[in-house]
Amino acid sequence: MPWSRTGPKMATHLTKCRTWSGFQRFGITTYRKYSSGSGYPNISLSTPLPGIPKPVFASLDGHETSETKITTLENGLKVASQNKFGQFCTVGILVKAGSRYEAKYPSGISHFLEKLSFSSTAQYGSKDEILFALEKHGGICDCKTTRDIATYAVSAEAKSLDTVVSLLADAVLHPRLLEEEMEMTRMATRFELEDISMRPDPEPLLEEMIHAAAYRGNTVGLPHFCPLDNVDIIDQEMIYNYLRSYYTPDRMVLSGVGVDHEQLVECARRYLLNVTPVWGLGPVQDVDMSVAQYTGGMVKIDKDMSVNFVPDKTPKRTHIMIGLESSSYMLEEDFIPFAVLNTMMGGGGSFSAGGPGKGMFTRLYLNVLNKYNWMYNATSYHHSYEDTGLLCIHGSAYPKVVGEMVEVITREFVNMTATPDESELERAKIQLKSMLMMNLEARPVIFEDVGRQVLATGKRKLPHELCDLIGNVTASDIKRVTSKMLRSKPAVAALGDLTDLPSYEKIQAALSSKDGRLPRGYSLFG
Amino acid sequence: MAASIQGLKSVGRYLCKRHLLKTSSSKLLADGSRRFLATQAAQQVALNVPETKVTTLENGLRVASEDSGLNTCTVGLWIDAGSRYEDMINNGTAHFLEHMAFKGTRKRSQIDLELEIENMGAHLNAYTSREQTVYYAKAFSKDLPQAVEILADIIQNSKLHESDIERERGVILREMQEVESNMQEVVFDYLHASAYKSSSLGLTILGPRENIRSIKRGDLYRYITTHYKGPRTVLAAAGGVAHDELISLAKHYFGGLPGTYKGEPPALPPCCFTGSEIREHDDKLPLAHIAIAVESVGWSHPDTIPLMVANTLIGNWDRSFSAGVNMSSKLAQMACQGNLCHSFQSFNTCYTDTGLWGLYMVCEPDTIKDMIHFTQMEWISLCTSVTESEVNRAKNLLKTSMLLHLDGSTPICEDIGRQILCYGRRIPLHELEARINAISADTIRDVCTKYIHNKPPAIAAVGPIGELPEYNQIRSGMFWMRS
Repeated sequence: MPWSRTGPKMATHLTKCRTWSGFQRFGITTYRKYSSGSGYPNISLSTPLPGIPKPVFASLDGHETSETKITTLENGLKVASQNKFGQFCTVGILVKAGSRYEAKYPSGISHFLEKLSFSSTAQYGSKDEILFALEKHGGICDCKTTRDIATYAVSAEAKSLDTVVSLLADAVLHPRLLEEEMEMTRMATRFELEDISMRPDPEPLLEEMIHAAAYRGNTVGLPHFCPLDNVDIIDQEMIYNYLRSYYTPDRMVLSGVGVDHEQLVECARRYLLNVTPVWGLGPVQDVDMSVAQYTGGMVKIDKDMSVNFVPDKTPKRTHIMIGLESSSYMLEEDFIPFAVLNTMMGGGGSFSAGGPGKGMFTRLYLNVLNKYNWMYNATSYHHSYEDTGLLCIHGSAYPKVVGEMVEVITREFVNMTATPDESELERAKIQLKSMLMMNLEARPVIFEDVGRQVLATGKRKLPHELCDLIGNVTASDIKRVTSKMLRSKPAVAALGDLTDLPSYEKIQAALSSKDGRLPRGYSLFG
Repeated sequence: MAASIQGLKSVGRYLCKRHLLKTSSSKLLADGSRRFLATQAAQQVALNVPETKVTTLENGLRVASEDSGLNTCTVGLWIDAGSRYEDMINNGTAHFLEHMAFKGTRKRSQIDLELEIENMGAHLNAYTSREQTVYYAKAFSKDLPQAVEILADIIQNSKLHESDIERERGVILREMQEVESNMQEVVFDYLHASAYKSSSLGLTILGPRENIRSIKRGDLYRYITTHYKGPRTVLAAAGGVAHDELISLAKHYFGGLPGTYKGEPPALPPCCFTGSEIREHDDKLPLAHIAIAVESVGWSHPDTIPLMVANTLIGNWDRSFSAGVNMSSKLAQMACQGNLCHSFQSFNTCYTDTGLWGLYMVCEPDTIKDMIHFTQMEWISLCTSVTESEVNRAKNLLKTSMLLHLDGSTPICEDIGRQILCYGRRIPLHELEARINAISADTIRDVCTKYIHNKPPAIAAVGPIGELPEYNQIRSGMFWMRS
């Protein structure tokens, strides 16, 4: 085995070890002198590499017990941090900006900003330069814009904090938005729009449609994906105007996980205080302060939804999503019961992967998927914003049964107002708690949780506090919030072959009936 | 050249600083000095991760865990058994068995098992690959004992009821339909069939329909008694798990797992790579899905790591990515500028003694030829002209993606379980880094020349592939002719 003939290789390892103690300059060049060939050690991965330093592992004491630390800078920007084990940190800037603020602009600016993120800035000549700089710190970057928040994040070695914050500040406040970058973005956006309409999983499209139906022409109902017609309209000036209005320090949080709070604040002062952004400091105008107006309504797209878009060869499906107004996340006494309700409804695909734990005893499994073998999917979703919320059920089946499918969903909505069973409520509460805790195992998730909470409320509820709130939800809380929800007009999204789709009025009538059935003469159940 | 030196220096600085910063407690220092002879190599390096502790029980079962003190944990069984241990007659048994594990045991009915898991807010899952079968649970850390007991129950006391077996056939056939509608899965199954023609590694995991319809209780039972043995099993855990507690749980619940074989233990079925192709021409599909691969090496072969760096150099790309992402990949730049494909992914799939190194691409019919051409051009440039700075960049990217991936109890547990099965140990992170650091452009050129240059590829293609060049033409693109 390689062990026995390590003459030249020993030297290799000595040289390599010197790398660790930091006094080599041309490590690889040096060791190449000692070895013929390329000098890469020919030692099985099953065998420890000889001569490498002895690791000293971290011990467990005293981490993650502290709470989230928050500091507000003089310009209103908040800095929030959370301790976390490990050699990496996740740091980022969250901005209260997104497609809901685009009423006075062509829709799609946030979508563009997401694609343009981490492109050339004042300091860096290109996206490639940014990536190259980050790679040296073991880092990656990512930007996500949603209807209400834009998030710019970097994960990198914790010791590179200064570089990371400097880079983030530059990416957020000094994007060059060069014409060639705009052109690339237009192309990528067009491709993405094409891909979204070709994807076998229709969730992104349905989510867009249900929001448009629920909040017609306002706030979170505005399109998140850039409409195709706007792709060529959006330009640098428009984007800078938008940024001038919304990328202001009072609408930002610098969130960090796995970093020292004092250091993070210091970096924030250095790079995010008294900085003139590239769009200048002109007076902030046109900030949209609209409160979401829930309207209800129906949005339909009639098209062939064959699997893989192979007509006649694979089954066709029609997708229905029905939603009702739930609660804003600011209103805790309603928001938490809705979150529990959403877990209790659960559901998924009739043929999804995953064993016990995926919600096999949730209502959409027990009452829908287990009962009607023609239902391909039945899943509950809950979207919540600072001023509104939307609880939806998505169903899919072959087009002929769309009427039955709608009724299955409306009956589930009406049944929500009944007092839930004690055991199903307990199960939903425990599952929600475990989902929360399991998601929060990952650093980027903690980062986002810290940032979003601080942006919304100025503070952060720790996971155990949220678990306590979940634990306190009672059956009468569920009854109370669902009764209120059922009084709202439905939002309906329908996608696929819609020949047999019941009218909006019939769906509305079903939801305000006692048993959730479609008006007589239609129902196939009664 | 300057960039390459800079790259190296920064790596060195990073390791050095980490050393200084984190070796803070005197207890740790004392610990280290006890173990090492005073050679120059006897440096210490502090890793801000918990240790992976490994213990082997009397029956050969290995218990491995990393305790990060979380409130939740992942615990699972990694078993050295998969479809590779099957033949034409019983192909599909390992996967069938995985399904049956959730159908109830002598102690719990199926519904009891499901309710118990759901009521504790846990998740139970399993998967079968060509070489491994994995059962794992995610749970609150306080429920670790219950989770281990359930895992032990489902793999040792599964009822394998005839009526349940009959019912499960339908479920698996339906699963097969799902797999068949996923083009990527179809292409990779064809790629294995093409690359490992006459060996069991070429079989699919699900098995053919006639086997799914005919597998008997006896086949399942035989598979368990042949393969589910102590020495071939790892109990791995991560998150909030105390190793000592895990050991005593393992002794209690897995002590009865047989450790020895009556006769010879089954040998790893041999495999033989053949360069060849499988095409399924179907103009009804909008896009062509193509995989092309050469034979690489097994898990533990030292060349695996340079091949992973080579993989990173080729990279992956999707046309809806934002402008200019992954400029570190020249192929991505070409695909982007020339509109050559919708997406591509470089892959290196490893098995015990072999592997498939290649590229999966999704293209419009009329760009196939160009995409194949530029892919092969990039492959050849790995063998001939890749530069030090490109390699350094790929090394950094590879390290970053490996390290960032290890976040959360499930990816860590997965890494532990797989590594203990594949390497018999968990490779410490700093050793992995050292191995990557030792790679130079020369290494990449040597290793790529060894496995790619003038080697016959295996090809699998589905969809509107009329424009895909003949096999011999692709074959002749595997070497470089100076013009």
